[in-house]
Amino acid sequence: MKKKRNTALLIIIATILAVVFIIPLLWMFSTAFKTDFEAIAGGLNFIPEEFTWENFTYILSGQGLDVQVFRWMFNSVFSGIVGTLIIVAIDAMAAYGLARLNVPFKKFLFPLFISTLMIPFVITFLPMYLQFSSVNLLNTYAVLILPYTANAFGVFLLYQFFKGFPKELEEAAHLDGANKWQIFTKVVLPSAKPIMWTLAIFSFMTIYNDFLWPLVATNSPEMRTLTTGIAIMQQGSFTSSYGKLMALTTIATLPILIVFLIGQKQLIKGITQSGIK
Amino acid sequence: MASQVISRKNSKKDKFTSFLFVLPYLVLFLGFMFIPLIYGIIISFTDYNLLSSEATFNGFENYARIFDPNSALNSIFFDGLWNTLQFVLYTVPFLVVIGLALALLLNYLPKKITGLYRTIFFIPYAISVSVVSIIFLWMLDTNAGLINNFLMNLGFDSIPWLTKQPFAWVSLAGATVWWTIGFNMIIFINALNEVPEELYEAASIDGAGAWKQLISITLPSIRPAMLFTILMSTIQSFNVYGQPLLMTEGGPGDSTEVLLMGIVNQAFSQREIGTASAMAVLMALIMIIISAVQFKISNKKEKGEA
Repeated sequence: MKKKRNTALLIIIATILAVVFIIPLLWMFSTAFKTDFEAIAGGLNFIPEEFTWENFTYILSGQGLDVQVFRWMFNSVFSGIVGTLIIVAIDAMAAYGLARLNVPFKKFLFPLFISTLMIPFVITFLPMYLQFSSVNLLNTYAVLILPYTANAFGVFLLYQFFKGFPKELEEAAHLDGANKWQIFTKVVLPSAKPIMWTLAIFSFMTIYNDFLWPLVATNSPEMRTLTTGIAIMQQGSFTSSYGKLMALTTIATLPILIVFLIGQKQLIKGITQSGIK
Repeated sequence: MASQVISRKNSKKDKFTSFLFVLPYLVLFLGFMFIPLIYGIIISFTDYNLLSSEATFNGFENYARIFDPNSALNSIFFDGLWNTLQFVLYTVPFLVVIGLALALLLNYLPKKITGLYRTIFFIPYAISVSVVSIIFLWMLDTNAGLINNFLMNLGFDSIPWLTKQPFAWVSLAGATVWWTIGFNMIIFINALNEVPEELYEAASIDGAGAWKQLISITLPSIRPAMLFTILMSTIQSFNVYGQPLLMTEGGPGDSTEVLLMGIVNQAFSQREIGTASAMAVLMALIMIIISAVQFKISNKKEKGEA
């Protein structure tokens, strides 16, 4: 009897907390559908008195923005997807090579890669800026993609997985005459799908949501990402037009929210598998 | 071992084809991690300036200026460091304790509904820092903001959340905890699932209450997760940049002007890449030392009790 009452109490507490947690997002959605007049007047109404799509049509028409919001969306999604594909492909190859193949100097290379997990971004971002600047690659997709691909997190994550992969399957494929590449792509990779999805979702979120690097590495309005474009609109012409700002942030948040909600289970599973417990 | 079976055939060719697997990553690693790292340290010993094409070595002069109390760099670095440390202090304990509390709460809920609540607490983690900052700017607005409107409806005065201390720190810390707590919660949920059920059963038979079980069973069992979340949260909070830039613009005064803001300013507004790099190297060193110390302390504890 006591246990049941406790559970009910815990559900109530969890529900109150969940409501508090979701309020900022609801308030964003709600303001996006209010007129500027109603938004600025304040109040506590989550359902707009005068429901309007005006903020969205204004944003989507590109009015008041430095460039069309679709351009920023494309930049974020494109660099996110290409960066993620590169990361997943090269990290899987490197991790498999280091974990299972006869790579020269691997006793030296693996610790070298992993030790950079300790190196904070602050120490590499200025020289990286100068490198890209000296070859005139600022404001390009290269600058929005390549720096993320050197991260050792994926190599580390996949290395652990490949280390524990049963060797018999590889041996059987080898006896059937498969070469290393065939064994890797036909036997090993299919079994690594879940953990590679985890890495993919993590990588996409990191690139899509990053702020400091795209902020310093791009300055032309066309090459801004959603995250930096929004920040610049907020400090510029949209400073106090919260209805329009909230429509803009809603548009920016929906794609990543969808990716996140679909991939959430994989993400959680991957965190579990990665041995961080 | 499969790799050895293969390698017997032709060791040299085998080594080469194996190396091809690592090559793409190695190239990107050299270009976008290793070379910048070395280059960054080298620049920190020069007077590199974005306005002139030449940079000359000036030894430890940049570092000496940072430690010279009469230099402007001294206050940029140490005030920034102090503000950053305050932010770490105001966020990490909450990120760890509330993260654990949420995980414990979800652990006690009926299995059927856990997933829904876990998703809700985890959702903010998917959002970018500029969206988080703008949502909180809007909620904390002095006149029209949700929170002040709520307070005024209850008969309180409106609070200058972003323009007066200590409210500015409360706002920055609050927004950050809301944004990132979900990740720590997931780590703790995983850790809690790994604690053997028998330990709790044995403790119940011995008559240990919920609190006693938490202290003597749960906490010791999840120590690695605890270490991981403390480490990760500290590193992330040390790197804080977007929230104070967008929410308080470093104010009121320059009380929330964090170290990374000072470094970016020095590099891109003052165009002094050399001194900015020296500050970046020092900041990186401090972060590495803090992580190493945290790691050492918790490792020692673990050994001490084993």
